[in-house]
Amino acid sequence: MKSKRLKQKVWMYALMIFITVLTVGPFLITLFMAVKSPGEGIYDRIIPNDPTFGNFVIAFNKANFATYFLNTVIVTGLAIPLNLLFCSLAAYPLARMDFRGRSVVLALIISTMMVPFQLYMAPLFQLSGELGLRNTHVGLIVMQVSTAFGIFLMRQAYLRVPRDLEESAYLDGANKFKVWYMVVLPLVKPTLVTLAIFTFMGTWGDYLWPLLNSTESNKYTLSIGLAQLSQNFDGSNLKLISAASILTTIPTLLIFIWLQKYFISGATDGAVKG
Amino acid sequence: MEREPAIIQNTKIKPVPKKISWGMKQITPWLFLLPSIAILGVFLVYPIIEAFKWSFLDYKIIAGSGEFVGLDNFKEIFSDKYFWNALLNTIVFLLMVLPLNVFLPMILAVLVNQKIRGAETFRVLYYLPVITPMVVAALMWKMLYSQSGIISDLFLKIGIFDSPTNLLVQSSTALVAVSAITVWKGLGYYMIIYLAGLQSIPRDVYESADIDGASIWQQFTRITIPMLTPSITLVSVMTIIAGMKVFEEIALTTGGGPAGATTTLVMYIYAKFNSLDVSIASAAGLVLLVLAIGASLLQMKMTSKREDDLRA
Repeated sequence: MKSKRLKQKVWMYALMIFITVLTVGPFLITLFMAVKSPGEGIYDRIIPNDPTFGNFVIAFNKANFATYFLNTVIVTGLAIPLNLLFCSLAAYPLARMDFRGRSVVLALIISTMMVPFQLYMAPLFQLSGELGLRNTHVGLIVMQVSTAFGIFLMRQAYLRVPRDLEESAYLDGANKFKVWYMVVLPLVKPTLVTLAIFTFMGTWGDYLWPLLNSTESNKYTLSIGLAQLSQNFDGSNLKLISAASILTTIPTLLIFIWLQKYFISGATDGAVKG
Repeated sequence: MEREPAIIQNTKIKPVPKKISWGMKQITPWLFLLPSIAILGVFLVYPIIEAFKWSFLDYKIIAGSGEFVGLDNFKEIFSDKYFWNALLNTIVFLLMVLPLNVFLPMILAVLVNQKIRGAETFRVLYYLPVITPMVVAALMWKMLYSQSGIISDLFLKIGIFDSPTNLLVQSSTALVAVSAITVWKGLGYYMIIYLAGLQSIPRDVYESADIDGASIWQQFTRITIPMLTPSITLVSVMTIIAGMKVFEEIALTTGGGPAGATTTLVMYIYAKFNSLDVSIASAAGLVLLVLAIGASLLQMKMTSKREDDLRA
């Protein structure tokens, strides 16, 4: 009986390590590719002979990834606080206040979550041109602030807050805004972090909208810069692409390491997104 | 309205509860909603309405206008063999991804849910693909798939290939190769969904099964899978809805080729947009919307029936 248990355990670990090879392997191969020196053939061997950081320097300086990095940081850095503010504001009356039109607004917001971006990207593209938002950071940011999903997520969080806390604040004479800001918002901090993560992930790696809206290379985000770089997908350019891929992933990796438990708990919150 | 906006008025906390006028009560919620409604109205609702309109027009994006053509755009789509090809590819893609998305992450979840050393670490390692930007994931896999890349090497060694082959450039394998990227990227995410489901199964169910001598496999098929039905539903719906919108992993690896072998509905719409056939793109977008809504309604209905059957 005991040896059977042990055997089972060994198999289990073997399986888990095999899966790790599948999930982590591609990163390692990309990382190895990124540190290959100019003299080394791209597919000669997986582990480089003479590792160098030269490709990262080239990516940053010559391939313009410093600019793309900065653009991405600006867009993401502004999108996160604005999305948190607007979604947490909008969700509050939808969770707590009685007013005419509430159910209509709520139903409308939830139903827009179903609509694929590709349906309305052409009119949106034209609109951004008319509003002068083409090739601007604002043009990318507006698409990330106050998302239907964010409003929905915040509303769910508010609904879990016990009402009596707010009621005692009202008895003390506080107004709705103050109750929201001083009483309710601090209680839903974990959800705010979750939403911040979703906004970060959605904005940092966003591809289709920046691809349409940012046509000038000095306004590219990392995703677009990377996609453009990969137009030439062979030879030593692969080392550069790998280095740029690693550069693009490092910030998400750092944030993941920092806020790991929120990523995990947030995934199930996000499941309602559908 | 004689009052100032509530924000300014109540800087001093007064001990007496105040009566809020009916008017204020109706206006305050809209103040909270204002920024979001303005942004969503302009950048979401307006373009959606326009897309509906464009699909019945012969819209020229350069002229900024178009004439009403009734259902011509839809007729054109439905008589376009490339549209049907794209629809078929989308369905085939979903049929490949769905079972893998339902079962592989479930196995991962069961493994990392064990009370064994290192389970937490494996959980994190399995989640890595999820946090990778899709563009990066697509390019990494494009590299792995290349003719001199590791996958080709490996398949040569174990005898699947006769000569170095890039799976992405063969029309018979391109869609399979692309769907592998999608599955890889989603493994960790769906694993977490299943983990939440697993943690709601009481441990003593397994303990008593253990005492009765049930094998791990029996426990998996008789306890875990039935108890995970709600999670399976959730994962399926999410897979279908996300799978219908699959874009980056195709756009950046095959671009819809070779010879349309990986052109899905979204790639079709994107190609129409690029050739400035925006009315056709809008009409095809509406078809996509209808399919997305239909699929999730059907799925919900089917699974709620299955749950009823289980209860009975």
